[in-house]
Amino acid sequence: MKTNSKHHFFLGKGGVGKSTISALSSIKLSRDKKVLFVSMDPAHNLSDIFAQKFSDKPKSVNDNLQIIEIKIDKWIKEYLNDIELQVRKNYSYLTAFNLDDYFQMIKYSPGIEEYAMITAFKHLSERYKEKDYIIFDMPPTALTVKFFGLPHISLLWLEKLLELRKQILEKKEIITKIKIINKKKETDKILKKLNLQIDLFKNLEKEFTNKERTEINLVMNSDKLSLSESKLISSKLKEFNLSINELIINKISGSYSSEGIDNFIKYDKLILVKLSSEELIGKDKLEKFILENNI
Amino acid sequence: MEKGIADKLLKKLQNFLRLYENSSKTKAIDLMEYELGELEHIFGLLVLSNFVGLPSPPMNITLDMLPDMEKHLIQLINKIETAENPLSDLASILNIT
Repeated sequence: MKTNSKHHFFLGKGGVGKSTISALSSIKLSRDKKVLFVSMDPAHNLSDIFAQKFSDKPKSVNDNLQIIEIKIDKWIKEYLNDIELQVRKNYSYLTAFNLDDYFQMIKYSPGIEEYAMITAFKHLSERYKEKDYIIFDMPPTALTVKFFGLPHISLLWLEKLLELRKQILEKKEIITKIKIINKKKETDKILKKLNLQIDLFKNLEKEFTNKERTEINLVMNSDKLSLSESKLISSKLKEFNLSINELIINKISGSYSSEGIDNFIKYDKLILVKLSSEELIGKDKLEKFILENNI
Repeated sequence: MEKGIADKLLKKLQNFLRLYENSSKTKAIDLMEYELGELEHIFGLLVLSNFVGLPSPPMNITLDMLPDMEKHLIQLINKIETAENPLSDLASILNIT
């Protein structure tokens, strides 16, 4: 039995056609491979592209292709409920009671959305590991960059916190020894949690940088605004040691030269996609476009 | 008779030294515990800084640790009371009057 699927992420500026390109890619791959196509964008538009309703439960489009629209709000709610439950279990009544207001506010805190995306990604890659490919249609730039940056930034904090925690535990042990307390050595719950988080983010970082497992595909248009945002995405990804596999220039009309683009954006493969003469809505039209344009 | 006095003196000296050792040990432990307390404060402040309006780690780190950090959270809130006079806090632990 297969254990790990390949993950293809499609990212880019809002409106460049990420969803359409990722839909085309999913349909093409599903000709002979098992594919799960996931919309991570909170403003889903796969239902419009395929002209049928999708939800957070997989729905088959053909024998090999299933589609899911992730509900980020649901993941945030579940995550916070779980933490709140743990707090209520471990804390005294009064402290937990005083934290009530904070929990109402936390769901709007920066950082929660990308962590919910990470949790959803982890869940999907484990739950659907029998698929050959999982294709992710990502949200526009800001949230996607935060998603890919979260493991890197979290690890910077976690490693410093781990260092400090070890120092604290060392001191605690010395005091216990001096006091000659015959106390059974306890496992520090905080140290355990720090190590678990470090493992999680190290694995994610390893997975995102492994080109055999992960493809990061950047979609852009030929206009200047799109180019400048794509340059920004490319440089941000570089900060997290991530590189672009395919650079897809979408909606090309008339003559276009991609000469010199590799001076700004490093990629492995360049794909040019012509502007469609008709609206690409519905599976049949998408399939026709793949055939006509040899994508 | 003389041997008896010498034994008594030796015992008294031993008791004195034991008392001195214990008191030094207690003093050393007090200082180490103070240092440990401060390290725990720093750890609490780093992880839970979001709750007191300081730059904080990504929210997921804070939230993941939160269920096991009640003591830190209470310390953090209590610390606010002595925050304006940290020297008196230090003086009390060093027994400076």
